[in-house]
Amino acid sequence: MRVLRIAKEGASALAGHKLRTFFMMAGTIVGIAALTVIMAVGKGTEKKVMKRVNAFGTHAIVITAGGGKGFSPPQAGITTLRLEDAEAIRSQIQGVDVVAPFAMKPDISTKAGSNQVQTRVMAVGPDWHDAWEWYTTDGDPITAEDNSTMARVCLLGTLSVSDLFGSQNPIGEDIQIGNVRFKVKGILEPRGPTPMGGEFDRTIVIPLTTGMRRVFNQDYITNIRVKVKDSRQIESIAEEIRHLLHERHHITPPREDDFAIFSAADIAKMARGISGTLTYLLAALAGLSLLVGGIVLMNILLISVGERKKEIGLRRALGATQGDIFRQFLLESLSVTIIGMVAGSVLGWAVSIALARLTQSPVVISWEPFALALAFALVVGVFFGVQPARRAARLRPVEALR
Amino acid sequence: MIELENVEKFYVAGSVETRVLKGVSLRIEAGEFVVIMGASGTGKSTLMNVLGCLDKPTAGHYRLDDTDMVNLDDDALSHLRNGKIGFVFQQFHLLDRATALRNVMLPLIYANEYPDDARQRAEKALTAVGLADRMTYRPNQLSGGEQQRVAIARALITDPSILLADEPTGNLDSKSGAEVLAIFQRLHRDGRTIIVVTHDRAVAEHADRIIVLKDGMVAEDQPVAHPRDADVELAAIAGKEAQK
Repeated sequence: MRVLRIAKEGASALAGHKLRTFFMMAGTIVGIAALTVIMAVGKGTEKKVMKRVNAFGTHAIVITAGGGKGFSPPQAGITTLRLEDAEAIRSQIQGVDVVAPFAMKPDISTKAGSNQVQTRVMAVGPDWHDAWEWYTTDGDPITAEDNSTMARVCLLGTLSVSDLFGSQNPIGEDIQIGNVRFKVKGILEPRGPTPMGGEFDRTIVIPLTTGMRRVFNQDYITNIRVKVKDSRQIESIAEEIRHLLHERHHITPPREDDFAIFSAADIAKMARGISGTLTYLLAALAGLSLLVGGIVLMNILLISVGERKKEIGLRRALGATQGDIFRQFLLESLSVTIIGMVAGSVLGWAVSIALARLTQSPVVISWEPFALALAFALVVGVFFGVQPARRAARLRPVEALR
Repeated sequence: MIELENVEKFYVAGSVETRVLKGVSLRIEAGEFVVIMGASGTGKSTLMNVLGCLDKPTAGHYRLDDTDMVNLDDDALSHLRNGKIGFVFQQFHLLDRATALRNVMLPLIYANEYPDDARQRAEKALTAVGLADRMTYRPNQLSGGEQQRVAIARALITDPSILLADEPTGNLDSKSGAEVLAIFQRLHRDGRTIIVVTHDRAVAEHADRIIVLKDGMVAEDQPVAHPRDADVELAAIAGKEAQK
């Protein structure tokens, strides 16, 4: 093929000027590397976000007693969140599926035999399982009857099982929570890390009534978890709940809220964190490198057209058409950007992997950045190669040979 | 067969029109060895460019093997140069990065059909100019005379109708120059059409016809009764060297 033979001519010109070729390539390498890192980090971040959102519950809104900006455990001493609030949400807000009030304390002393640990204890109603989509693997869930009889029964997370019982089967065994004796009636499904990096599985669950009266000794709750029917409405429903609670708690600005509301959307925002900013920075770097690299490429090619006038004239005299010369220079430009792209991709992968090790955050290596990089390489190569190639092709052989 | 009919070439720079060729008519038969002579500024180079199909005349006709190049577009002229004209330049014009072999193969890249035996052809052409042992050398490893012989091999690789040489000995010492002229005379004996442009009377006398240009027109067109024999001159040079 004629084009292949001409491409070979271009390639040998590049190989003959290694340093110059490297400078022509540098911008593409940096740009494509940045692009690859963006995509790897971006995909990694999305994976992390999805994991956190899934851990939190994609349809979940959590109301926590006490104000504050971050997603944190309920503030002690806030007594204003009541079972009646949960009832009001259930009866007045459209689009909610399950409303599950609960009371929790992060560190209650629990004991089984000689093992004693500080554990999160959650006192929950019968709706809690559905609200959290968190059920038992062994034994039975907390029921309405457990609540109405103030039964002293509990469920253990898998880590709490190993904390208190080791590898022994805990079902039917007794444990002590605070000063009260409970019977283990079931084991919760493993749920993994919480959105904030704790462990869901280090949890003990007891009936809400039993917890409020016998363990926590309080007449208020600490949280309400709401499960919405349609996750797309999650933010508007959260806003409606906020209004309702403002009304019920007689809060008007500038008084601070005595509760905080978090939805899956808020969790996603927090999980994205600074990676959004980093992505914009890298995108700017990638764009700039490709642009500047392209301009440098074009200028070096233009200079090289000037330097190689005699060569161009000779080729024309020996029978090269304008098209042959045009293609040779365009192929030189394209080879530079495509080789630059391959080098940039490799560099980008290396940086991504290093970044993943360094920040302990997930980085996803996939084929998409490679495809995108190839597209960019072709665009840059053609866009900045056309002008020099055209200039070379238009040289008149008589003048070029002079 | 070459036929020029009232070829004119004007250049316009601003409002000044320079008439470089003012109606050149001449006919060169296949197999002739012709020298075009003239002082600088007589239109010699312009005529050479027209003959080489590197430049079109402003007026007139130029028929090369019955094709009037005046009617051809740029691509067709490129193909014509590739197939019918072999160029030899004063400055050799070899690619520095390429070996002698690759330099010789260069015109084939632009041929309509790339021959399967391109490499063998190039080796044969280099052998014919006495460079069988220099095929993988780069131009900077070769002497001027050797470089010009590579250029001659390159000019012949497409088996052109005419070999067009512009001051081919201008950058060479007398021995290398004689070697180049000896190759031309041998090619001429084999039936090749050769046109050499030069200002050097001693070079011109190796041809069998001399055309002298003056002021953009043909001033003289004479056969050479007894062309000088470059082989004899080479033997003389060798003899002198042996005496030293």
